[in-house]
Parts: sequence; structure tokens; C-alpha cells
Amino acid sequence: MNGEVLIDVQGLEKTFEDGNRVLRGISTQIRKSEVVAIIGPSGCGKSTFLRSLNLLEIPTGGRILFEGTDITDKSVDVDKMRQKIGMVFQQFNLFPHLTIRKNIMLAPTKLKLMNKQEAEKRALELLDRVGLPDKADAYPAMLSGGQKQRVAIARAMAMNPDVMLFDEPTSALDPEMVGEVLEIMRELAESGMTMIVVTHEMGFAREVATRAMFIDEGVIKEENHPAEFFAHPREQRLKDFLSKVL
Amino acid sequence: MSFTERFSLNFIESNRYRYITAGIKNTLLITVVAAAIGILLGFLIAIIRSTHEKTGKLKLLDLICRLYLTVIRGTPTTVQLMIVYFVIFSSVDRPLLSAFIAFGLNSAAYVAEIVRSGIMSIDPGQMEAGRSLGLSYRATMAYIIIPQAFKNVLPALANEFIVLLKETSICMAISLRDLTYGTSLISSQTYDYMFPLLLGAAIYLFFVMLLTWLFGKMERRLRQNER
Repeated sequence: MNGEVLIDVQGLEKTFEDGNRVLRGISTQIRKSEVVAIIGPSGCGKSTFLRSLNLLEIPTGGRILFEGTDITDKSVDVDKMRQKIGMVFQQFNLFPHLTIRKNIMLAPTKLKLMNKQEAEKRALELLDRVGLPDKADAYPAMLSGGQKQRVAIARAMAMNPDVMLFDEPTSALDPEMVGEVLEIMRELAESGMTMIVVTHEMGFAREVATRAMFIDEGVIKEENHPAEFFAHPREQRLKDFLSKVL
Repeated sequence: MSFTERFSLNFIESNRYRYITAGIKNTLLITVVAAAIGILLGFLIAIIRSTHEKTGKLKLLDLICRLYLTVIRGTPTTVQLMIVYFVIFSSVDRPLLSAFIAFGLNSAAYVAEIVRSGIMSIDPGQMEAGRSLGLSYRATMAYIIIPQAFKNVLPALANEFIVLLKETSICMAISLRDLTYGTSLISSQTYDYMFPLLLGAAIYLFFVMLLTWLFGKMERRLRQNER
């Protein structure tokens, strides 16, 4: 791996107000065009880790350098930073009161990054790319789960982010819709997008990811190239985990 | 006396219908102005309160809002109206202005709680989605949360404005000639209670039904996108 470092996580810790220590010192570097698949048992902190990267969770210790800037520093413009970090949620979180087109156009236009015509053009381009060119004027409630998630990906991409975070993007989908979303993500990965994906899709982790990361008990227990990671896991915890999910 | 004679006595002679028309004008004027104040102030309070609930910020403002809600919701509207007119504006005779303020402040308290419940009912994922796109808290509230909350609480808001319209009938307490006081003035001249009161009631009913219809139409329009 020799791309430039996009995200440098140093000793990240998160303790919730109830005293639950979810992250206990996570350090790793995410380089440009990497696709990192994060796996681990539920409650291990993988989602919290991902959500810390754009400060949806505020870390209680450690630092996160994004493109060289420490985003845990209070003086950093969080909104500006988030414009460069796309996020896709398990529950899609589309805006139900807006059409698909407006869901995608909202942030770029309100943040004055594009005018209406540009945003509209970009929205239609992206809808074409995720295979939903005819849904521009539909409302989210009219779409299937898989279609919603594809729109959510298009919405995040409309901001032209430098990295995209996926928080279990296929976990809320009916099984027959998982494939269409993973296909879009694969294409995105092939286009060179830097991606960090919390997932239970071992197939995706093995075939698309450039690095697999196993988080357990709030730390990175093991990380490796996917082929090696799945074929020859070193840690006993990972062996146990893989034997259960594969 | 025949029906037409009584009708004529109560509404035609001495142009007594003018008590009704002037009353309607005042009743509607108070309702509209108070509703406007209620919406503006109510939304503001709701946003302050829900922001505090979600983020823990605006502690002092939240405390002031809570105090306000407690006092307004804990005292009778009639007393509030009389305090505004007889105490706060004691040196000037401004019944209409007093009614605007009293009913506006009163309505704001109820609107605030309705809107706050609407804001709190929106899935936290909506705020996260907005923020993760780089929108500020304020922009996310304005473009994503409030429009959805507004739609959800529209029936409750409609109800509040219907209550407001009917509650203006206590204006008699400050001798403001609203619809109810108008009918009462007619009665005091004609010694007939049934005709003026029934007409007054019918007029309130008409406006309430009109409001219900208007809100129903608005609700259907806003709900179009749900299927």
C-alpha cells in the first residue's frame, strides 16, 4: 500500500456516558483508494469506530487526522470536514419529504457548491450510475430497500467526497436486494473511491476489499490482505468468528 | 312575535347586525394575529427546547422557555388576558392589542409543545444524514427536520387553532367587542337571548368547519408523497 494517507487514526478511544468503553485505543491508517472491510461480532465497536471518523460519535481519547488535520480539535470546522466524507447508513436515512432528485441535490445546492442546474445534472448522472434513472421524481417511500440504498449512495457521492463510510449498508435489506447494492459498491471501489465498510458480507470483504480488519473488544485484533485474512487467520478470536460466519 | 319579527328586532332594527359583523371582524383578526404570534414564538421555543434535549446546549434559554410554558399553561387564559389589559396596559386603553398579545403568548405555549413533540418524533437518523452531508445543525433543522415535523403535527396544530378561535370568546372580560360580546350586546337591548346566541354559535361553527376543511386540504397535499 503506497497511496497517500487520507485518515490517520491514533489511539482512538470512546467511552459512552454509561461508562461503557467501546473503543480502547484504535490506531490505523487509511490510504487513498483503499477499500477497508471492517468485521467483528456485534457490540465490538466497529460501528462506533466508523461513526467516529466523521464525528457522529465524539471520541473521548486519541486523534483522527483527516487529510492532515486533526478533526478532534475543537477549532476544526466539522461541517466542512464532513463534506469530504460521505456516509451511507444501515437504515438509508433518505429524506422522506423530498423526491429522489431533491434528496441528492439538497446538500450540494444548500451548501452552494453547485447551482441548481449543475446539481440537477449531477443528480441525474448519479442516478444513472446506480441504475435508477427513472426514479428521479419518485419519493423514497415508493422505492424498495435496495433502491433506497442505491439512492443513499448516490446522495453521498453528490458531494464528491474523498472517502466514503458504509455502516452495514446491506444489513437492513431483504436477501435478494443485497446483490444490487454490493454491485454498486464494487463499481465504486473499482473507480478508485476510498471506502471503509462495516459489513457482515464476507464475500464482499474477500473479493472487493483491499484490506480486512477484525475489531473485537474495542481494538483491532487483526488486519490483513483479505486473501490472507480469510485463509490464514492468526488470532484465535478471529478463527472462532470466521468459523461461525463462513 | 313571529320568527321574522324576532329576526328583524335582533338584527335589522337599529342596524344591530353591525354588532355581529364588527364582532366577526375582531374575532377573526385576533385569531389570525394570535395564531401568527403563536406559530413564530411557538416554533422558536420548540426549536430551543428540542435542541437542548438533543444536544444539551442552550441551557439558560431552555430554562426560560420551560418557565414560560409552566406559567402560561398553568393559568387560565381569561386571567392572562385581564392581566395584559388591566395590569400591563393599565395606563392605555388598548383592548385589541391586549388580545393579540395575550392570545398570541398563550397559543405559543401550546404550539411549542406540539411542535417539540413533532421534532422529537423524527428519526435521529435524519439529523445524522443531514449532518453527515456537511449541512449545519441549523440547515438540517430547517430543510430536513422541521418540514417533516410540521407535516406530522399538522392535525394537532389545526386543533390548537380551532381552540384559539373559540377561546377568543372570552374577550368580553376586557369589554372587547368580539362576536360573543356582540351577540350579548344585542341581547341586552332586545331582551332576546336565543336568536343572537344561536346565530353566534352558528358563525363559530362555520369558521371552525372552514378551518378544518382548510387544514384537511393542506394535510392531504403534504401527505401525497407517502405512497
